[in-house]
Amino acid sequence: MTPQRFSMTRRAFLAGTVATGAALIVPLRLSAALAQPREGAGIANAFIRIDTSGQVTFVLPTSEMGQGAHTGQAQVLAEELGADWSSIAVEMPNQPAPAYRIPSGQMRSVGSFGIRLWHDPLRRAAAQAREMLTQAAATRLGVAPATLQAENGVIVHAATGRRLPFGELVEDAMQLPVPDEPTLRPDGERTLTGRTVARLDTPLKVTGKAVYAVDVEREGMLYGAVRLAPVFSADVARFDESSVAGMPGVVAVVRVPRGAVVVADSWWQAKQAADALDITFTQTAADTLSTEEINALLREGLDRTDVPVTTLRGDAEATLTTEGQVVEAVYSVPLLTHMCMEPINCTAESSEERTELWIGTQGQDVIRMTLESAMQVPADRLFINTTYLGGGFGRKTHGEIALQAALASRAVDGRPVKVLWAREDDVRQGQYRQTMMCRFRAALDDDGNITAMHIRLAGPQMGRDYGFDPEERAQATGNLANFDPFSLGGLSDMRYVIPNFVVEHAVVDLPIPLCPWRAISHTYNGFFFESFMDECAAAAGRDPLAYRRSHCEGQERMLAVLDRVAEMARWREPAPEGISRGLAVVESYGSYVAQVVEAQVNGQGVQVERVHVAIDCGRAINPGQVEAQMEGSVVDALGAALNQKVTIRDGRAEQSNFHDYSLLRIGEAPSVSVGIVEIGSPLGGVGEPGMPPLAPALANALFAATQQRIRHLPLSDHVQG
Amino acid sequence: MTAFTINGRTVDVSAAPNTPLLWVIRDELKLTGTKFGCGVAQCGACTLHVDGEPVRACVFPLAGAEGRSITTIEGLSEDGSHPVQQAWVELDVPQCGYCQSGQIMSASALLARNPSPSDAEIDEAMRGNLCRCGTYLRIRAAIQRASEA
Repeated sequence: MTPQRFSMTRRAFLAGTVATGAALIVPLRLSAALAQPREGAGIANAFIRIDTSGQVTFVLPTSEMGQGAHTGQAQVLAEELGADWSSIAVEMPNQPAPAYRIPSGQMRSVGSFGIRLWHDPLRRAAAQAREMLTQAAATRLGVAPATLQAENGVIVHAATGRRLPFGELVEDAMQLPVPDEPTLRPDGERTLTGRTVARLDTPLKVTGKAVYAVDVEREGMLYGAVRLAPVFSADVARFDESSVAGMPGVVAVVRVPRGAVVVADSWWQAKQAADALDITFTQTAADTLSTEEINALLREGLDRTDVPVTTLRGDAEATLTTEGQVVEAVYSVPLLTHMCMEPINCTAESSEERTELWIGTQGQDVIRMTLESAMQVPADRLFINTTYLGGGFGRKTHGEIALQAALASRAVDGRPVKVLWAREDDVRQGQYRQTMMCRFRAALDDDGNITAMHIRLAGPQMGRDYGFDPEERAQATGNLANFDPFSLGGLSDMRYVIPNFVVEHAVVDLPIPLCPWRAISHTYNGFFFESFMDECAAAAGRDPLAYRRSHCEGQERMLAVLDRVAEMARWREPAPEGISRGLAVVESYGSYVAQVVEAQVNGQGVQVERVHVAIDCGRAINPGQVEAQMEGSVVDALGAALNQKVTIRDGRAEQSNFHDYSLLRIGEAPSVSVGIVEIGSPLGGVGEPGMPPLAPALANALFAATQQRIRHLPLSDHVQG
Repeated sequence: MTAFTINGRTVDVSAAPNTPLLWVIRDELKLTGTKFGCGVAQCGACTLHVDGEPVRACVFPLAGAEGRSITTIEGLSEDGSHPVQQAWVELDVPQCGYCQSGQIMSASALLARNPSPSDAEIDEAMRGNLCRCGTYLRIRAAIQRASEA
């Protein structure tokens, strides 16, 4: 590994190794939720290391995939510690020890947790270290700790001007007990958070020096390309190794689950051979699966009579009323794939004694469990070097590629092997965002307000794959039954005040591997719900903003972002000539985001000109990065809403690369203005919450222009983009 | 053998002549700043300069490099001081960063032939470079910034 990977400085820190010489290790005191003992190995590790030279290294629990977690977490730590921001280094642990696990019990970078979950534990760990250093300095100087200040890597005695650098205090500080209840800095001393700080990784990322997994270089490394079953549930029937044995550079053909890895001297050679490999796959019941069949299954789910009520507020009977004005609509979304710009890859060196991986992963514990169960790799012999991720978006929470690389390395006597999927493998190998269908039914009173709403969702359940039992989750969340947070998040917990409210989920299992996709269920439930709110407003003949506000009694955060975005977009004034506007607001991952889309809609199709975004994420640790995530989310979500779908024919994905699964291009990107609302709310996420409101706000703008309601994504199926 | 100049140094490469230049540069010459994204010239992550022109290395055969001068992100400047890189830093453009070498190589080629591009010219020159993080707004602003430098 190269030292630049995680370090701002030239100092070389190998992930997981302790720098030579004494180092102050501050163990994290875990909250009860975090401290649950888990099986598997792990050293009692920490977030901070300070060596006798004064070098401060932060060991961070969250993978950096572009969301800015490393910078934000380092800001929190450095501020509380009083470190010198210009000389800190950051790295990640190479074993998923308990200290780095999220409440689900795994080390995973998901759920927009980077700041909202880790802020308090990181701050506490930094305060502990600061107090130990301060106490050591107090003893040395013969003064009271309260007379000392930690700033820029130095303990300062202001009264006498005496200064002791952290490095000189480390050995003394190590002898001191870790304070149980360190005192956090008062707000007035919080000068590194709450303001825009340049990202730590930008200099590396503009010079080509940032090391992603695909860039890892090991002595004697070989390269692997894959040939995997095109039907997701198929496996290898047979393959003929000799069909490629004579091809240039080929070293081995390795059987892996659902396919083979061809190992060669270069990746290009491996890829040629993988394409040429004579291999056949088993027949499966899914060989004839098609999008049409999937849609038929989902429609059946909407009409099933055996589906239990998951969420109930008020009176269930009232949601079935046929009196007064009733609004009904059915929505759907397609399968989506992730298109991380860095294709799936992993480098492994694996022997019986030791398995070491280099991988851009969001799921270190998933990898551990995968290798444990498939190869009996003991946790204490597994080392996972988490590199930068060339995009994550939920896709890199799986262990399959790590298993392929480790198996390939074992097959060539433990030599390092870099297994890299082609883009076509990435698009065609599943792990998609769910396809879902949803039917809404609302009863309106004489003023048009919603008195009752009945929601039936139909589609797969994904939470089970991640250890969430739907009945357990129902109990834990105040629902009645069958609650899968990965399906119903954004419906069951929606914030509008609707007196009688029912949500049901008709589970339709599909033979397609599914995977979280940035903002998961909120992407489609946001689209469904906020489009339907617009339908209800239209049926009531009321303004979409006023209508939403009238269903937000007591919902201060909803109102705050709605009012801010309305102000930014001058909603209460007529739209500019030729511009149609749509509004949506969605809560997800602890943050509230409202968006107004301004679009030109004419015979040529739709062109989104500007998007206004208001976010309440509590306190913005790095406002510039909050803005960056909102800008990027708008572009990302717009590309998906306009163009993206994976369709299935003959059991396999029909798309293969960017030409038939397109991202938004630069000329299609709208202007984005971002307003950050700070009303004292708890910390919320930032990486995902910008996504959900875009599609409904866009569909609502289209409706405003054309009176045509788009209920099925992508929009390009209905209008020109 | 194929001989060419890369970032000012002359190299002689033995890979098969139809090997895409991308893989020679990454796996043989160990210059990994140039990225693999699609393999079919659809995403622009592998953009580099051949005699100053932006080229998608994933579909550019090694044989085509014979006798030519290639510049990768590593050779754009020694220390990140190229005006485009500076503008990228000032506006904190990258998120995941994976596409940014290609973005910067496309942008620097654009500015070399058109020092003051309009937004429309930027969009046209950059349309082959995809970014799933959606950093386009800052890319456009950074190119404008660099053009003023």
